[in-house]
Amino acid sequence: MKKISTLIFIIILGFLFVNFTISTPASSRQDVKTEKAKYHVPEDVQQIIDKSCYDCHYSESENEKGKKKLQFDKLGELKLYKQVAKLADIADEINEGEMPPEEALEEYPEIKLTDEEKTKLVGWAEEMAKQLSSDSE
Amino acid sequence: MNWKRITLYIILAIIILIQFIPAGRPELGTSHENDLLYNNEIPEDIAGMLRASCYDCHSYEVNYPWYSYVAPVSWLVARDIREGLKELNFSEWESQSKMDKAKNLDEIIDEITEGEMPMPIYTIIHRNAKLTDEQKEQLADWADSYAESLFE
Repeated sequence: MKKISTLIFIIILGFLFVNFTISTPASSRQDVKTEKAKYHVPEDVQQIIDKSCYDCHYSESENEKGKKKLQFDKLGELKLYKQVAKLADIADEINEGEMPPEEALEEYPEIKLTDEEKTKLVGWAEEMAKQLSSDSE
Repeated sequence: MNWKRITLYIILAIIILIQFIPAGRPELGTSHENDLLYNNEIPEDIAGMLRASCYDCHSYEVNYPWYSYVAPVSWLVARDIREGLKELNFSEWESQSKMDKAKNLDEIIDEITEGEMPMPIYTIIHRNAKLTDEQKEQLADWADSYAESLFE
């Protein structure tokens, strides 16, 4: 009886381990993205970016125009002034309602930003741009 | 009096009348206190390009040729300069934050490399404002290294 319960215990332990290793790559995705970044992306902002920006604005995107303008996964590798410029652009584009673009919203209505999300994203981008500007003062 | 003549008079009257509609030329400052070229050591050839190709709309040093006082051309010129100054004003360069300088220099590189600026409608008349491919590269390289130097 004792042997059986020990066995069950080991099996459960084994499951936990497997689960743990499976879930690791998924959660480390965030870290990979911002690995070299000089800026910090809080979880809630990252979620907004993932939902509404990332598909067009990352290095493997099929949207050439979006890819050319901004790549979130490579943002931290740019020259410091470029990072600041891109972050300031993000704030402007969102403020002016230019992004995500109308065509994208028609096809994927779910990526539309709520007012709260806009405020959060703009606040983050402005804060980061200011911080990076004053760090090199 | 034949119809041809009447039409001519009407057209003439319209041209004269529209001269009374204000063009809306923007008010220009006179100070060089915050000007990019007055406050920084910019290489001569770069300064020359900026003056020839940018400063007519992006600074207080606007040159209005005679036809820019004649409507309807005056309206177009005034609008372009108004919008130009709003986007970027080299005469107020130093009054910007470092963040805005970075943003503007990055934008300058893009606009010049993509041939958006100086505007084709402007360079048709102002031939000396047109940048050669080599000049575009020089200007973009300068903007890049100048921006970098601000963040060192």
